[in-house]
Amino acid sequence: MEFISYLTPMFFALVGFGVVVGIIFGAIPGMTATMAVAVCLPMTYGLDLTNGLALLLGLYVGGISGGLVPAVLLNIPGTPSSITTTFDGYPMTQKGEGERALKTGITSSLFGGLFSAIVLFFFAPSLADVAIKFSYVEKFLIILFALTVIASLSRNLLLGIFSGVLGVWFSLIGSYDISSGGNGEYRLMTDAMVPYLESGFSLLPVLIGLFGLGTILQEAQKGIKEEVGKGKKLELNGGTSFSLSVFKGQIVNLIRSSGLGTFVGMLPGVGGSAASVLAYTQQKNFSKHPEKLGKGAPEGVIASESSNNGLTGGALIPLLSLGIPGDSTTAVLIGAFTLQGIQLGPLFIGNNLDTWNTMMVALVFANLVMFVVMFFAIRTIVKVITIPKYLLYPGIIMMCVVGAYAINFGIMFDVWTLLFFGLFGFLGQKVGLEVAPFIIGFILGKQAEVYFVKSLESFGTLTIFFTKSPIAMVLWVLILISVVFSIYGMIKQKKNNNNKEA
Amino acid sequence: MKFLKSGLAVAMAAFMGIAASQAVAADAKFADNLRVVIGSKSTGGDTYQNSAIVAQALGEKLGINVKVDAVGSSAAFKALARISNGSTIMIFHDQSYLGYLYGVKGYFDIFDDFIVGPTIAINPGNAYLVPKSSPYKTIEDIIQACAKDTKIRVAIQPGGVSEIGYSALKNAIKLRYPGKEGNLVAVNTGSQSDKNQLLFDGQADLIQGSVQANEQYTQLPAEDQKAMRFVWLTAREETIKQTKPEGMGSTTQAHLLDFVSPKVSVTLDGKQDFTFDKEFFFLYNKKMDPALIEVLDKALGEIYAEGKIQEVQKNSFFIPNFKPSAEASAYLKDKMEKYEGIIKSIH
Repeated sequence: MEFISYLTPMFFALVGFGVVVGIIFGAIPGMTATMAVAVCLPMTYGLDLTNGLALLLGLYVGGISGGLVPAVLLNIPGTPSSITTTFDGYPMTQKGEGERALKTGITSSLFGGLFSAIVLFFFAPSLADVAIKFSYVEKFLIILFALTVIASLSRNLLLGIFSGVLGVWFSLIGSYDISSGGNGEYRLMTDAMVPYLESGFSLLPVLIGLFGLGTILQEAQKGIKEEVGKGKKLELNGGTSFSLSVFKGQIVNLIRSSGLGTFVGMLPGVGGSAASVLAYTQQKNFSKHPEKLGKGAPEGVIASESSNNGLTGGALIPLLSLGIPGDSTTAVLIGAFTLQGIQLGPLFIGNNLDTWNTMMVALVFANLVMFVVMFFAIRTIVKVITIPKYLLYPGIIMMCVVGAYAINFGIMFDVWTLLFFGLFGFLGQKVGLEVAPFIIGFILGKQAEVYFVKSLESFGTLTIFFTKSPIAMVLWVLILISVVFSIYGMIKQKKNNNNKEA
Repeated sequence: MKFLKSGLAVAMAAFMGIAASQAVAADAKFADNLRVVIGSKSTGGDTYQNSAIVAQALGEKLGINVKVDAVGSSAAFKALARISNGSTIMIFHDQSYLGYLYGVKGYFDIFDDFIVGPTIAINPGNAYLVPKSSPYKTIEDIIQACAKDTKIRVAIQPGGVSEIGYSALKNAIKLRYPGKEGNLVAVNTGSQSDKNQLLFDGQADLIQGSVQANEQYTQLPAEDQKAMRFVWLTAREETIKQTKPEGMGSTTQAHLLDFVSPKVSVTLDGKQDFTFDKEFFFLYNKKMDPALIEVLDKALGEIYAEGKIQEVQKNSFFIPNFKPSAEASAYLKDKMEKYEGIIKSIH
């Protein structure tokens, strides 16, 4: 119990400070948890490892959680893993249930965060052994599984799939990076585009462009007359107010989504966005009212937010049990260990029990602080939507532009990317392009390619995707179930609509 | 008299020239903010760690803010090529010229396109590992297996530091058993995690890794699927001898020396062994003011003379290795030519 001596007021203050700064980073479109940790990493040079980690873990939890605020209130995912929060969070805001959506999201985040912390504490080493059973083949199948969400998210199946494939196509522009084991060759572009697109389009400018700028352009098209003339604006609490009863019947959803978040988090290279996408799809497949998802159902927010906070503990599993980061933010966390001369690897936990225990305390405390800070700050935060749009949106555009410029340390092309995809999203939707499938295709496309090609390079045959291992076979069954459920749901919905019309 | 007059004029001009250049050197000063771009996008890797240590010391010495930005090689080279006023400089390692030698897109001849500045440290950890249960216990076992037409798959990240040891091993097999080098096959992959995974899956017989990232895996019991064994460290013996006696984790310096030349031999040319130290150094814009370069050389010289930075570097398993710009540039050019020979011989 020697670690208790490390738990000083300073330790808790740093966790709290980290959480607050993290929430701010997460809530500003264009800034992410990864950026928060990277920006504050040099601050840890002057701290010892325990206090340094306290700060960084606070930032991590705060950063991941803060993303839900703009997702719910403005339809702009603050972080890539809160994309699915926009699907139901924003419609809830439009119904005047912004506060309810936020409180539901925050409570789900707390559950997901604590769930993954418990899993991390009790099962980290044994789960790391499970994680290494997932080779290229199984990782490809997980991504394919996540891609099946495209079918269930589409309003029009054919256009949705087309949008998803288009997203994959856009993600492949650039070089097949040697740092992923590729050949470094450029593809899908002309020589003149090489200086700008050699690494492809950056994810965040694309994401903010499509969601943030696209939404703003649509609103701009409506003009401000309506808002000013009729005094109509979104109500703060026009619909049902928040109570814990929103979680009634959602326990399975909470546990499944948190579990999926933790599980995807512990697979290095699969990425956080896949976690919330998977959780959202599964909720839609198993929901009693799948037709309500995407139109302001709290269960959608619960699935998305519990899974993306479930990711925090999950991504720490390979970091602390194998020395391998589970996501981009934990990759930055490695810096804190290496700068302090602490070696990460399969023996880390056993060799550094005190550090391990303090990290667990920091993680749990960060989740509690996140809950308290956000839950009680909501009344103020939610007032954002009462700001007239003609004042609010220029401010958001400015933040988006600054965020896009800063994401890769000052690349102007990222700002053009933001503007291009804003326009692309706006015009695309007019001809039927579906933004959500597009962005999911874009996020998962590159990883799908790498794992697909590497599987073929390693095993030399396509049949390996079916025969590699029992895990692969189970994943195929899940993929099939997911596709069948989506199609069945769509047919059922069509029938219902026809009946209503009749 | 005329001769005296013109002599005087020449002397005067020379004096004024020297005085002016000294005044420039004395006046040369960095602005309040110095940006150090690095060739890696990771803030958890050795390039960032090393750069952060040096940047902090430089900031204190020069009384300015020095900020390290992990932008990656492509963006770093672009920023460096664009900005010549000394407000942006770069720190990278041997990848900067190995990428060029391997023909990777986005790499140039750094000696033509930039000014190569001082070296600052060595990461001595470049390593090759096999599963603990592997029939190959040493690098010699692997060479012999190739000589007997057994395919050996080596997991590497292509086009640089990760590949150079593989190229050297292939070259050594070619020299000793001509025609058999084709039995050593590269499995191109990405991160350390991917390389480890290939070993766990039985899809690679040998992987490139590092002492820092893989040492704990070598401490696992043989029955553990994750257990590994070092077979080769590419660093020079003198380099490893400069690590702390306790080495890294549970592997002492004495034990690390078992995996370097001369105990482990991968021949370079039939006479001497191949070695590779991963060295970190500065790169400057071609048009950067030489006086500023001198300021940095001088500041780093003083920092290393004080002796504190060496402790910090050694605690992070780096070997301090300061060489001023001119010396470093000539040394690295020689190093590049040596490796160019290896790469050409196997392609």
